[in-house]
Amino acid sequence: MHKIYRVNMTDLSVKVEPVPAEWAGLGGRALTSTIVAAEVPPTCHPLGPNNKLVFAPGLLSGTAASNAGRFSCGAKSPLTGGIKESSAGGTSSRIIARLGIKAIIVEGQPAGDAWYALVVGKDGVEIREETETLGLGTFATVEKINARHGEDFGVITLGPAGEHMMAISNISVKDPESKIRSFGRGGLGAVMGSKRVKLLAIDPTGGAPLALADPAKFKEANRTFTKTLADHPVSGQGLKKYGTAVLVNVINEAGGLPTKNFTTGQCDHHDQISGEQMYDNIVAREGEPSHPCSPACQIQCSQVYNDKDGKYLTSGFEYETIWALGADGMIKDLDVIAEIDNVMDDLGVDSIETPVMFAVAMEAGLLPWGDGARMLQLLREDIAKATPLGRLLGGGTGHVGRAYGLTRIPVVKNQAIPAYDPRPIKGIGVTYATTTMGADHTAGYAIATNILNVGGKVDPLKNDGQVELSRNLQIATAAVDSTGLCLFIAFPALDIPACLGSVVEMLNARYGLALTGDDVVALGKNVLKIEHAFNLAAGLGPETDRLPEFFELESIAPHDAKWDMDQKELATFWNF
Amino acid sequence: MNGTPDTVEVVGFMDLAGLFRARGWTSPHRLPLAGPIDGFELLVRLDVSFDAVESLFVNHKAIGLADAVIRPGDRVALVPPGVPGPHRFCLGIWRRPSGS
Repeated sequence: MHKIYRVNMTDLSVKVEPVPAEWAGLGGRALTSTIVAAEVPPTCHPLGPNNKLVFAPGLLSGTAASNAGRFSCGAKSPLTGGIKESSAGGTSSRIIARLGIKAIIVEGQPAGDAWYALVVGKDGVEIREETETLGLGTFATVEKINARHGEDFGVITLGPAGEHMMAISNISVKDPESKIRSFGRGGLGAVMGSKRVKLLAIDPTGGAPLALADPAKFKEANRTFTKTLADHPVSGQGLKKYGTAVLVNVINEAGGLPTKNFTTGQCDHHDQISGEQMYDNIVAREGEPSHPCSPACQIQCSQVYNDKDGKYLTSGFEYETIWALGADGMIKDLDVIAEIDNVMDDLGVDSIETPVMFAVAMEAGLLPWGDGARMLQLLREDIAKATPLGRLLGGGTGHVGRAYGLTRIPVVKNQAIPAYDPRPIKGIGVTYATTTMGADHTAGYAIATNILNVGGKVDPLKNDGQVELSRNLQIATAAVDSTGLCLFIAFPALDIPACLGSVVEMLNARYGLALTGDDVVALGKNVLKIEHAFNLAAGLGPETDRLPEFFELESIAPHDAKWDMDQKELATFWNF
Repeated sequence: MNGTPDTVEVVGFMDLAGLFRARGWTSPHRLPLAGPIDGFELLVRLDVSFDAVESLFVNHKAIGLADAVIRPGDRVALVPPGVPGPHRFCLGIWRRPSGS
């Protein structure tokens, strides 16, 4: 029996509701975006009582499917002003799905100064006043909740940045090692903080393996799916060994590694911050090159990175974080980058928005280029304690750039542009400009089979075919985000026909459906249209589907490329 | 262009970086070259298996092994299979698997 938990923070009440028929076939991003679009007034203040925070496991979460541990969180974003869905790993998605919970909707806003913990169980949600963990970082909070309830509980929590409702704040989810994974982008931590919810503790008691319409068919499809993940060189080998950080050298070679606040496309010290260097360090220091972010993760692109003495420094050390600190912010020491990554995780801030903001602050003269020690000090002393300077920085990249009168501010819809420069890689520029999420590389990550004839032929330096490529990538991504599967399944889904087929078969065997690949594509299209309609109603019209002007004015080495996509052509993105 | 007209400058990523290092090659490695060759011929001269490379960058532009023309003075990067990212398509790093 699937159910929805609705937590009203205004009157501190909880309702357990049946799942409306029109939401029954939805999960993950499809469900969070549908609920936000249906229930949140698009023009509401993101930190006011009318915004809602929605958590939803994917359609395959809680099953035995490989890599189905992803978890979606949605709301109106305080950073972009538009709809937001963010995806995280961790243990909570699986637990919630096995409790039969389709979604948790947190709405309203309490009147007093008290903070709360939501204890989620098989019969409902208990709202308890929370004091013990206030002001604590995410790691200490997880430790406290483990001690209070037991290590088998799932934990979803804020760090200090979320408590202070900063736009750079994220929401953290406990992972299998009691470290954290994050709903990183869009300032969702501020939305949770605005409702004065410090944490959700998820009690697994009473959870059960999910009923399958056709268990034998599901098992067979999952076997095929698992084999395709293992057989493909990206999901089976490359990501497992080097993680996403392998992209540092590759994107640098392409001239698309934004460096020193997007002033050039190559970084002189790229080898020092590369995935290859990271792997060598991990092996030499007896860390873990391969590590799961959630139960049943087979790809294992995460890792445990130790310092020179073999002591834990960080985990989940991603390309985008390393790029933003190492190339965009010019920090040359990978160990310092790892320490900053860990501090950002503990404070509960987005590890893309925050370092891109720091690079803008460096250009503004607020701290020297490459000064990791000063960055750590600003994180610990100003952002964590919400000093006036900390609040300025905590407003994010656009906030700091505008405060200092800069014109090179790398944001779209006020969200920081990630690790791929759009001038020599035009397709990703189309995604940044048009995605409903604000600048987001993952919005166009997955691959639909119908672009097979496009892949490999598009010239990254030319505009031809880029809108169609980005559209197909975004549609497929929206569909994958709704399944609870990791986006990295996209690689075998492209190259091995049996992979995508096995995903559709698992959905059919789980729910007793007869979906085809076209139905999954239709789901992705519908998600994008719902999100786009919300954004239009929120005031994010076509004029916001564009890159910052400096990309048109400043060429980037080594290709001497500028952004020169016709805005009218960009507008054709929505012609589907 | 790498500034030396009688060699090609070669770097390898992922496991190929380790292979080059194990051979005692500097990064970048300089291979003497007198005239144009294609990507497969380059791999033969480097004694690198065809299966170990999905795509090349020649002077910072991705191109398939068969389509690549490498001339003295060029810089080439060898991209093994297994590179993730949306840019696989946006950059043109993609080789259709045999049989698909």
